[in-house]
Amino acid sequence: MKKPLSTLFLAGLILLLGGCGQGETDGAGEAPSAAAETATAAGVDAEVEAYYAAHPEFFGFKTPADLPADLTWTSNEHLPEIGSPEARKGGTQYGALQDFPRTLRTVGPDSNGGFRPFLLDDVGMTLAHVHPETLELYPGLAESWAVDWDNQTVYTKLDPAATWSDGEPITADDYLFMFWFYRSPYIMAPWYDNFYSTKYTNITRYDDHTISISMAERKPDMDELGMLLRPVPRHFYRQMDDDFSERYQWEFEPTPGPYIVRDQDIRKGRSIALTRLENWWARDKKHWRYRFNPDRIQLSVIRDASKMFEAFKRGDIDQFGLGLAEYWYEKLPDSDPDVQAGYIHKTVFHNQRPRPPFGLWINTAQPLLDNRDIRVGIAHATNWDMVIEKFFRGDNERLDTANDGFGEFSHPTLKAREFDIARAQEHFARAGFSRRGADGILVNEAGQRLSFNLSTGYETMRDVLTILRQEAAKAGLDLRLEVLDGTVGWKQVQEKQHEISFLAFGRFLEQYPRFWEHYHSDNAWDRAFLEDGSVNPDRQPKTQTNNLEAFALLEMDQLIERYRASSDREEMIALSHQMIALHHEHASFVPGFYQGFFRVGHWRWVRYPDGFSYKHSDGAGELFVHWIDTDMKEETLAARRSGKTFEPSITVYDQWAE
Amino acid sequence: MFSLNPQTRKKLQRFRKIKRGYYSFLLLAGLGVLLAFGELLINSRALVVSYQGQLYFPTYSDFHPGTDFGLDYAYETNYRELKIQFQQKDEGNWVLLPLVPYNPYENHAPGGIFRPLPPNAAEQHYLGTDTTSRDILARLFYGTRIALVFALLFTACVYVIGITIGCAMGYFGGVFDLVFQRIIEIWSNVPFLYMVIIIFSVIPSSVAVTTRIGILLLVMVLFSWTGMTYYMRTETYKEKSRDYIASARVIGASNARIIFRHIMPNVLSTLVTFMPFTIVAAISAITALDFLGFGLPAPTPSLGELLKQGTANLRTAPWIVISAFGTLVALLTLVTFIGEAIRESFDPRTFSVYR
Repeated sequence: MKKPLSTLFLAGLILLLGGCGQGETDGAGEAPSAAAETATAAGVDAEVEAYYAAHPEFFGFKTPADLPADLTWTSNEHLPEIGSPEARKGGTQYGALQDFPRTLRTVGPDSNGGFRPFLLDDVGMTLAHVHPETLELYPGLAESWAVDWDNQTVYTKLDPAATWSDGEPITADDYLFMFWFYRSPYIMAPWYDNFYSTKYTNITRYDDHTISISMAERKPDMDELGMLLRPVPRHFYRQMDDDFSERYQWEFEPTPGPYIVRDQDIRKGRSIALTRLENWWARDKKHWRYRFNPDRIQLSVIRDASKMFEAFKRGDIDQFGLGLAEYWYEKLPDSDPDVQAGYIHKTVFHNQRPRPPFGLWINTAQPLLDNRDIRVGIAHATNWDMVIEKFFRGDNERLDTANDGFGEFSHPTLKAREFDIARAQEHFARAGFSRRGADGILVNEAGQRLSFNLSTGYETMRDVLTILRQEAAKAGLDLRLEVLDGTVGWKQVQEKQHEISFLAFGRFLEQYPRFWEHYHSDNAWDRAFLEDGSVNPDRQPKTQTNNLEAFALLEMDQLIERYRASSDREEMIALSHQMIALHHEHASFVPGFYQGFFRVGHWRWVRYPDGFSYKHSDGAGELFVHWIDTDMKEETLAARRSGKTFEPSITVYDQWAE
Repeated sequence: MFSLNPQTRKKLQRFRKIKRGYYSFLLLAGLGVLLAFGELLINSRALVVSYQGQLYFPTYSDFHPGTDFGLDYAYETNYRELKIQFQQKDEGNWVLLPLVPYNPYENHAPGGIFRPLPPNAAEQHYLGTDTTSRDILARLFYGTRIALVFALLFTACVYVIGITIGCAMGYFGGVFDLVFQRIIEIWSNVPFLYMVIIIFSVIPSSVAVTTRIGILLLVMVLFSWTGMTYYMRTETYKEKSRDYIASARVIGASNARIIFRHIMPNVLSTLVTFMPFTIVAAISAITALDFLGFGLPAPTPSLGELLKQGTANLRTAPWIVISAFGTLVALLTLVTFIGEAIRESFDPRTFSVYR
């Protein structure tokens, strides 16, 4: 399973507007059978069974004798183990949240907040997981698996030892139930319905611990699609009806993972804690035994970022993301007494993954911005090099396209348009803006000023926009800044009310980029083109999609459809390059920058394995390979009082630097 | 306006005798003059440029592209660089810059990196720079100007509405008074801050900054005039029952004449007394709103925004919070001193014949 919904993605302290509220296709899921509606009183069992029976093509029931004989089972034994044998269990990890979670559910309204990584994304378990070093699958809830590429099916033997945190065994039934659950209307999450209805064609149960899952398309990552699936505890969701979201609002779902949330640890609005299961079923398994080490993870709510930092400096919080240059260089410089005394360690880790496309998303449905010359002019009038140099102090890199970091799928040669006042003016002049007004901003014959709204939902990035504005004025372009609250900013672009928006989408660790969401005309207009392929004059913008540029080209639509239908890796790569080039040519996106690393400050009692993290990891805490050294904590706190110092540690891990 | 009748003259003399208030007034008046001509003191545009024998005065004129002075760019001339260039070439051209050669919007990072710079006389950043390398003195100066103008406009609007309605309530009384009192009670219970947040979330950003400031002013006035009506209503009630009003009515004076010629001058002292405190309240309110991020739209210079930056960088850039806080305290103290002095000198009980 790709993390399907947007997660509020934390890059240092920068809140990216994540979000893929939309699925890949518009196909509506199948409605549950009406007969089952009466079954709620006796639990949801009858409804579920009736649903299975109503969809025999999707839910198969067979015996182990029906398994194909020629399957090659694997569990990728050769993969290097994750974590360090030196890791010690125990201790409490202290952290902070900017907001108290609005629910403990992992699906449905409000479930997509900053706490979800602690419930699901980082601590949950799926059949198999992507190895952060090699991108191959390593076993999670599955013992072994076999991939039948020709029949688009993955066969899986479940680990018979696997149990839910409440002690119930995890069986094949929980996987069948998963499909019913995600396709049910009760959870109020249409994205899941869409995803689980269109990506998969069948799940078959052979016995309690053997299943097979078939996919609709034979994509290069088909095996991942079949293996990154998370079971849903059928015994927990006995009551399912329209009250789902309220009923399970503060109910912790049993997890196959190592951490649970106990009722007594939920102090609403103030703090929440995770507790480690001492006899977790996977505690001695390879890839799992050296991870998830702290006994308890205590998270307090600190709404203000600067207060959170002060709490870190006091030692109330164990580690703090120092992604912003302001923190790395000013607030916690290398010369800081706590760093020099070796109490706080500073670490930079260079990683490799799809890069969030920070840049300007130009809404081509707005007047003037539908003119390509204006857009190219804007691209030449934005000085990203100065942003990188002055705001990020040269640590970040210029992004070249909206789809960088996908390996072969990214365009090998394309470069972003450079800051060039002369060329910007040339393009603006072609669009009729050739005369400067009294304030130095270009005006056209009709007296219209060359002025656009530049909005963002990232308050921490305000200064980036200030720089862009100031530099754009030199080219005669006026950018009116609008710094919004995160939610408001996201709503604005979802309603397609923006002119130019500065934002990025969170990127997951995927093999190849998605184009349909951002560039297909289906997501830009209600009916973009007429039968003959010409532009529909009466088309209306389509809201609540991720096509923020109102990007609609017939040629792109055709390429996207070929790309989606293709199962040939080479063909997909060629199409991907073609589409990226077309997108560049259209100039509706001005690539900004990317951060090729993450960096943290952590107290010395937070210990990490030798290499610190892994090639494709996203953050220091993501894989839970760290551990809390309680002896060292006492020693450090005593040393702080007595004035004793240690060797300072400022480390750069650049083995994966690009 | 004040006709300088002997009583008023007496009050003003009394005001002059209260030294603290009087000097505060002089200081503030001086500051007001400075602020009015601020562009000549703190500005990135030069006061005078002499280029090839011709004099240019860019301060209040249209922008001069670099090409006007023999530079190779078409955007606004950087006069600081121009000055250095003229000095180096030594061709008889010269530039006269204001005392502080920065405007409140430009990012001037001497080190090439945007970071708060401590006060530095050599760079002419006398109070340092903020987190995006904008000159703090310039931002404080123009921020104060905007806050003061805003506060004066606010006070004027609140007074016009408050006096009109308050007087009418007191003078006409009866059902009119009763109904309006209820309306005011309901109205004053609408939470002001939420209204500001709601209104600003629906205003599209394409609206110009000045319009947005106007809307903010309007919203603040709409939720602040009620306080004034109470005082005016009671004062008017009190005056209305006096014999001289009855005499005026017997003579046949119209309602308008009675209100404006007889009642108003007698309740003026209440108004004047409250004025400085209304101004203080307005400055505090706008600063607080800015601090919370719901006030003047960015990048308008403002005290509240500087305070916010300062508190977020207490440890690394204490000069931001010191200068913003210092300015705010000084400004509010001055106005309060004036207010106290006015109250003392205009106190009706000192002069009232009905004592």
